[in-house]
Amino acid sequence: MSTGTVTVRRRLHPLASLSQIQSTPSAQDGVPHSIEEDLRAYGCKLIHQAGILLNQFVSSSSQFVTPHILGDRKQVAVATAQIILQRFFYVSSLKQFSVADVGMGALFLSSKLEECPVRMRDLINVYDLLLQRAAHTVASTSFAHPPPEFKYTPMSYFGNTFYDLREALVVSEMQILKRLGFDVQVVLPYGTLVNYMRLLGLTSRNEAMSMAWGYLNDATLIQWLNRLQTSVYALYAVPTVVSAAILLTTRQLGIALPSDPTNCWWELFDVEWEDLWSVCGYVMRLYRERTTDERVEIMGLLTKRDFRQWLENKK
Amino acid sequence: MNYIQLEKLGEGTYATVYKGRSRTTNEIVALKEIHLDAEEGTPSTAIREISLMKELKHINIVRLYDVIHTETKLVLIFEYCERDLKKYMDAHGDRGALDPNTVRSFMYQLLMGTAFCHENRVLHRDLKPQNLLINRKGELKLGDFGLARAFGVPVNTFSNEVVTLWYRAPDVLLGSRTYSTSIDVWSCGCIFAEMISGVPLFRGRDNPDQLLHIMRIIGTPDERTLRKMVAESPEIQIKQWPRYPKIPFQQVLPKASPQAIDLLERLLQFDPAKRITAAEALQHPYFTSAGFGTNSSGALPTPYPPAQQATVIPPPAPAQYNYPHPSQPGVVYANPQITQIPQPQQPQPQQPPNGFGQYPAGYAHAPGR
Ligand SMILES: Nc1ncnc2c1ncn2[C@@H]1O[C@H](COP(=O)(O)OP(=O)(O)O)[C@@H](O)[C@H]1O
Ligand SMILES: [Mg+2]
Repeated sequence: MSTGTVTVRRRLHPLASLSQIQSTPSAQDGVPHSIEEDLRAYGCKLIHQAGILLNQFVSSSSQFVTPHILGDRKQVAVATAQIILQRFFYVSSLKQFSVADVGMGALFLSSKLEECPVRMRDLINVYDLLLQRAAHTVASTSFAHPPPEFKYTPMSYFGNTFYDLREALVVSEMQILKRLGFDVQVVLPYGTLVNYMRLLGLTSRNEAMSMAWGYLNDATLIQWLNRLQTSVYALYAVPTVVSAAILLTTRQLGIALPSDPTNCWWELFDVEWEDLWSVCGYVMRLYRERTTDERVEIMGLLTKRDFRQWLENKK
Repeated sequence: MNYIQLEKLGEGTYATVYKGRSRTTNEIVALKEIHLDAEEGTPSTAIREISLMKELKHINIVRLYDVIHTETKLVLIFEYCERDLKKYMDAHGDRGALDPNTVRSFMYQLLMGTAFCHENRVLHRDLKPQNLLINRKGELKLGDFGLARAFGVPVNTFSNEVVTLWYRAPDVLLGSRTYSTSIDVWSCGCIFAEMISGVPLFRGRDNPDQLLHIMRIIGTPDERTLRKMVAESPEIQIKQWPRYPKIPFQQVLPKASPQAIDLLERLLQFDPAKRITAAEALQHPYFTSAGFGTNSSGALPTPYPPAQQATVIPPPAPAQYNYPHPSQPGVVYANPQITQIPQPQQPQPQQPPNGFGQYPAGYAHAPGR
């Protein structure tokens, strides 16, 4: 092997892991698996959107070509916050903490770790806007008389909303640290992705680079990685996850890579086909199209109060 | 709290450190208190220090035992050390200067701790005598990881606001944000010179003045070196400086042995790419050559100068004098962790299901702590 990385192969049975996934604290509180997965993903999406609004995120695809940009601290802060959120819900239940609060706390925390601190006030405003927008979407699809077009109403800095949100932010950061025992260091595999793409001669294809990056950044793959890093659900090694992002990308874009049994690109990275394929399978399952109802349902569960009410009604 | 707070040990840039005694075991510890601010949440220094230190277990790194998290403050419970290196030099040195055997023992331990951080992908970024702790066995330990950070992402850019001025590397003074482990190596070099002479080597007033102090001793770098550094770190700002010639270190530090001078030379390279690594420095003849450091009876030199040890610190029991000196043939510093470091890109699952077993002891998930 000439990849320059040492590979430690770990193969675990997806079936065994499924039962592990189902025993999250939220599952123990009776939250259905699909709702938990979608809410986690939505929490990650909120972090991503907050990152964009905070002007922390460089999203144009042409930016992904040079490794220098990949090292951008702000992008790293967003991805780190997403991993922290995922990690958090392996030790805590959605009944106790909302994805909005945890996401906000995680972004606050990761921006400190990545040395691009955000102002509390900016972060609070951004989350307030995102939550108002989600609430508006819920209202416009579920009521007989939908409200007019969304208009953001900024809060007063001296009003209660601001102080409540600031309190929630500080508490959320502290809870994350406490419940994760300060286990907030995150290793992101972007360097590995760039290496692999370079070895496969794909770095010149801009759309391939940004799509693979997107898959990796996506909540679902981040979740796989997260399981790896927390050692909670150590399912697959980094090369497998990174290869899955590449496989999904090349299939979608119709890019041919050597794939004969005797000569296949994933073996270059010491990845087993069955592992690769099952990661892709999970990702595709999670990517299935959601109905409007399903989507709106998730958006109505972003705060702790709404979530608890929903959980009560379900019983 | 499970600890009785005793006298104040020191005050740093963001915390106060007290001596403490465990109510249950009577063990003496150091309590580092950090106040929490409603405006800023948990200080990033505390987040860094705890998240990184709980993973770094090494004889030359001060051990974090536990963390107590309350509404208003964080208390970090550390292994107790007698004093920091600055105070040690003031108390034991000859106007601050330490004897050659002590310098060598401390330098070896400093580089051991630093190399361990680097192997584990951690930059300390604030090495200076006040942040190095010495216990009564003469063990030196790296402390204060408040500015430390992990460098998992290969091409990261970091904050430029690091390292106390006098120990700050020239590339950082020039504005570099892509520095790496060489930043700590520079600080090690500065500390080395300071232990030999008793005074800090480069004492600038501010950033530009600090650079001039450095150039006045190691010389102004030539055009080619500067151009190369800019090519490697484009954030670097080049100005016009007086052309200082290099002053031989032997002239600056007349007491130092030729081997010490040679090592210092390699640690204090202006160009970060040319600086020796901590792991390489440990292999330098200054540490490996025979004959130096053992006295005629062949006994281990103790890092505590005997004349002063009785008055300042009660002498440890003989059995405690077992800290091996690097000059002893066959000495291997006991450090089982070094062989077990996970590959940086391949974090390995070490823990059974809950996966968070690596906390400082007692730091439970249980709410209400
Ligand atoms: N474990 C310890 N044992 C004894 N003294 C300590 C210990 N840790 C810190 N100190 C003393 O407290 C001072 C400040 O601690 P430090 O961790 O450097 O705080 P800060 O991050 O605020 O600079 C140190 O310079 C040292 O004198
Ligand atoms: Mg300090």
